[in-house]
Amino acid sequence: MEILAQLIVSGIALGMIYALIAFGYQLTFATSGTLNFGQGEALMLGALVGLTLVGHMSYWLMIPLVLVFGALQGIFVERVGVQPAIKTKSEFGWIMTTISLAIIFKNVAENIWGHDDITFPSPLPTEPLQFMGIRVLPMEILVVVGALAIMLAVELFNRKSIYGKAVVATSNDRDAAGLMGINTGMVITFSYALSSMTAAFAGVLVAPLTLTGATMGVVLGLKAFAVAIIGGLNSGMGVIVGGLILGIAETTTGYYVSTGYKDVPGLLLLLLVLAIKPAGMFGKSVIKKV
Amino acid sequence: MNIRTMPVVAVLAFAASCSAFAADSIKIGVSGPYTGGSSPMGASMRDGVRLAAAEINAKGGILGRKIELVERDDQAQNDRGVQVAQELINKEHVVATVGYINTGVSLASQRFYEEAKIPVINNVSTGSLVTKQFLPPEFPDNYIFRNAANDTIQSAMIVREAIDVNKYTKVAILADSTNYGQLGREDLEKALAAKNIKPVAVEKFNVKDVDMTAQLLKAKEAGAQAILTYAIGPELAQIANGMEKLGWKVPMIGSWTLSMANFIDNAGKNGEGARMPQTFIQEPNTPKRKAFIAAYQQAYNPPNGRIPSPVSAAQGYDSMYILAAAIKQAGDTDGVKIRQALENLQEKVDGVVTTYDHPYTHDDHEAITMNMVVMGQVKDGHVVYANAADKANAVREKASGKAKK
Repeated sequence: MEILAQLIVSGIALGMIYALIAFGYQLTFATSGTLNFGQGEALMLGALVGLTLVGHMSYWLMIPLVLVFGALQGIFVERVGVQPAIKTKSEFGWIMTTISLAIIFKNVAENIWGHDDITFPSPLPTEPLQFMGIRVLPMEILVVVGALAIMLAVELFNRKSIYGKAVVATSNDRDAAGLMGINTGMVITFSYALSSMTAAFAGVLVAPLTLTGATMGVVLGLKAFAVAIIGGLNSGMGVIVGGLILGIAETTTGYYVSTGYKDVPGLLLLLLVLAIKPAGMFGKSVIKKV
Repeated sequence: MNIRTMPVVAVLAFAASCSAFAADSIKIGVSGPYTGGSSPMGASMRDGVRLAAAEINAKGGILGRKIELVERDDQAQNDRGVQVAQELINKEHVVATVGYINTGVSLASQRFYEEAKIPVINNVSTGSLVTKQFLPPEFPDNYIFRNAANDTIQSAMIVREAIDVNKYTKVAILADSTNYGQLGREDLEKALAAKNIKPVAVEKFNVKDVDMTAQLLKAKEAGAQAILTYAIGPELAQIANGMEKLGWKVPMIGSWTLSMANFIDNAGKNGEGARMPQTFIQEPNTPKRKAFIAAYQQAYNPPNGRIPSPVSAAQGYDSMYILAAAIKQAGDTDGVKIRQALENLQEKVDGVVTTYDHPYTHDDHEAITMNMVVMGQVKDGHVVYANAADKANAVREKASGKAKK
């Protein structure tokens, strides 16, 4: 029992990381119908910028700066890669541009920060805490709390503020929102800023647990994509549940079946969801009018 | 000459000197990963090779010609390694190649050298199969040589350290899912089976995995007294840190990659005490080693004076000297003649790891034997000798393979 609990706790921490990155996919998909395939690289850049800043200031002071950096990086991606594709009504142009921007970011990071994985100094004690035989790192708790907090903050912003309402309106019907005088282009740019900001935040949250390096985002970005598909690309609840399912499935399968197969259940679930409910477990299916 | 034409003339003069140099030089390929997770090994190896080549050139080169290194980054990827091999053979026309860090890359690329009859000296990659891909009767001559401790030696030493020295009876194996990890795992299981021991857990993980809880819990629940590893630096650090998280500390004994700087730095205090087989430990306990360490530090100025991967640097350095001796003996840059010279090397090559006296024969392409390898241990961020006796008795000759022709 204790072992199962330990596996689930580790799975939750892992799953919340996936959920937070998946949340970023969702933000841009809601407003523009496009995704930033460089989400993993946005996370990596956030972590590396954070690592550089942490040499000069405290971890907590660094976070707002990284958020600003993330937002600027998102705006850059949108302006350079996505906006031209949306303007020309290209169905798939943004896929190629976000992927190629991701590769460019990775190479730039390799040139600036080197090819090696570096340790990120932990802001919290590295001694694990014990609850009834289950051991948790303080940092893991921070990941879960931090992820939930930023998702909640973004949701509140969308529901309560006037700018947020513009985002929601654009998500619901871009053309109608445009006719109502909402600058939908600006809203899309803004959603990219928010999306990369959450990814950069995820980066500085996970970096003390993993290692920091130019390639850290590749696997995380891919798994988060699976989470976004499983949970549904337009459901906030979906990414959290999807992330938890994938994270817990990984750790428990690793223990009870075989560590060689730990990625299989998550991917099976992905196939299953795509076959039965393509909009995701919590997603609303949209009828596309042509 | 006015100020505008001066740079142009300088460039022309430089180009002229380069082409004159190139026409006359002996081209030697250097293939290794200079980027990515294996880069500490690749870059140290390259620096070792460069150091040796510079020394040889300073003494007038080989056969009166300078050595020119053609360095290519194989990125630790098999397909990239194949491209590099083809470029070095067909475009650059190298007379031989040294290098290869990753077993998978070696295995994928060497075929082209074998076909072209150009010798390769593997100076780091350790897979047991590396020198045994092209054996008679199918291939009359094997062009693949090695001066690194292969996995058969390493796994035997790891098992000896765990079972014979420390008297553990329950051990777990943790290996990554690459060629390197899985071939090493097979070798470890074989070496354990020879002592009638079955590992209590055999676990696998992927490169870049961030959570090792499941693997470690399985080992812990099975009652493992030690963890035997086959992986590279960053993931090894995740294992050490994961043990700390689970509040479970057993010794880590594993392949030589536990000496990588990216394991030692990222694991910090959790990596303390990890043990691994080493051909070279950064200790100036012979005059040759002292000179080598000083030269390396002076040329590359590594942080804290610590070579990122001392074993790779030393073996890279030695491979260049072995090859140079063979070319000198062959009196020619023809691949067949170099191979024959390597297989019957008359000159004693004074290397960093050992003095190579007839390192190879026609049927034995391994320069390093088990008696040359020592156990290293991580202590205060450095790799030191695990046994004081090894430090005093640092340089040993090849055990059985000494050519008696």
